[in-house]
Amino acid sequence: MARAHRVALLGTVVVISYVLTFFKILSVPLLDAKVADQIIPVLPWWLLVSFGSYCLWSIGMGLLTLRECPEAYNELLGEITEAKNDLRMKGVTVD
Amino acid sequence: MQGSFNSPDTHKYSVILPTYNERKNLPVIVWLLAKTFTENQLAWEIIVVDDNSPDGTQEIAKQLAKLYGEDKIVLKPRAGKLGLGTAYIHGLNFVTGDFVIIMDADFSHHPKFIPQFIRLQKAHNLDIVTGTRYRATSKPSSPDAQPGGVHGWDFTRKLVSRGANFLADTVLNPGVSDLTGSFRLYRLPVLRHIITETVSKGYVFQMEMMVRARALGYTVGEVPITFVDRIYGDSKLGSNEIVSYAKGIWVLFTTV
Ligand SMILES: Nc1nc2c(ncn2[C@@H]2O[C@H](COP(=O)(O)OP(=O)(O)OP(=O)(O)O)[C@@H](O)[C@H]2O)c(=O)[nH]1
Ligand SMILES: [Mg+2]
Repeated sequence: MARAHRVALLGTVVVISYVLTFFKILSVPLLDAKVADQIIPVLPWWLLVSFGSYCLWSIGMGLLTLRECPEAYNELLGEITEAKNDLRMKGVTVD
Repeated sequence: MQGSFNSPDTHKYSVILPTYNERKNLPVIVWLLAKTFTENQLAWEIIVVDDNSPDGTQEIAKQLAKLYGEDKIVLKPRAGKLGLGTAYIHGLNFVTGDFVIIMDADFSHHPKFIPQFIRLQKAHNLDIVTGTRYRATSKPSSPDAQPGGVHGWDFTRKLVSRGANFLADTVLNPGVSDLTGSFRLYRLPVLRHIITETVSKGYVFQMEMMVRARALGYTVGEVPITFVDRIYGDSKLGSNEIVSYAKGIWVLFTTV
């Protein structure tokens, strides 16, 4: 089973249980019926907004924590010069 | 694990270096590799897979083979530009070591990290060690890791790279922080196994290798690396790559 199939299976189960609760065929345990009535219609939107925020947050944090490494660049420039000088001495064409 | 080579650590490390128009970069990267391997007393070879670069990369490779020895610099060219994925497969046919290092020839991948890869591999008997630009510590943790990073990337490049990794990570959950990078150490049979199962090309190729590795149950470690964008030569990241990358994620999602 590919990952897509597992996700689709899980998604189907979730959607079916949601539809059944929405039409009051299933009841929500441990929750007052009045409260449940208010939460259930907005649940999909809440999930959507949460997921959107999660995406933005993850990519944003990723961008912020992506470190700049100028020291590696400077070190490399030095090494390139050293390598070229050494190779030139040994008869390798470097341009 | 004990290897079967007559070297201080009983192993031999083969670098597969695909090149296309890397005339300026090749001698320097080879020099840096040779220096790293010698200083760390490692047995090594470099397999240069050049796709008949018009800039004469092969001519330089021949000079390097003369200098370092033809057993160390092994030139295995191909007739034309056939792409990166098949370059690794081609190079693999000539590997004589028991570990393979895959890296770019443009100095984005600095050889100084190779000893760290090897130490991490040995400490945890890992199948694969991959370099990551996005972590500050290695995984599993080790004391000698320095934070990773990038140099020479503008905002767009950073955003694309972060977005690409986030997308793949969310959809495929391969458990590796840097999926598009290609600086990695593999056990030879592991690389052979994964590469035969890998179907995609371009940027997706590197990502697919990690997704497959995970699906096949191989252990993967991560070492933070600093990534300096190429100094000589042209970069070719465009919107075409982005579209084919997204398609590639979808294919993997529905098949692996
Ligand atoms: N043999 C072979 N090598 C290639 C080919 N395309 C790229 N390469 C080499 O593969 C390595 C990675 O390619 P790059 O052009 O650096 O790709 P990149 O790192 O994704 O992009 P930039 O560094 O931004 O240009 C380099 O060593 C190239 O010379 C190819 O078709 N055949
Ligand atoms: Mg590059």
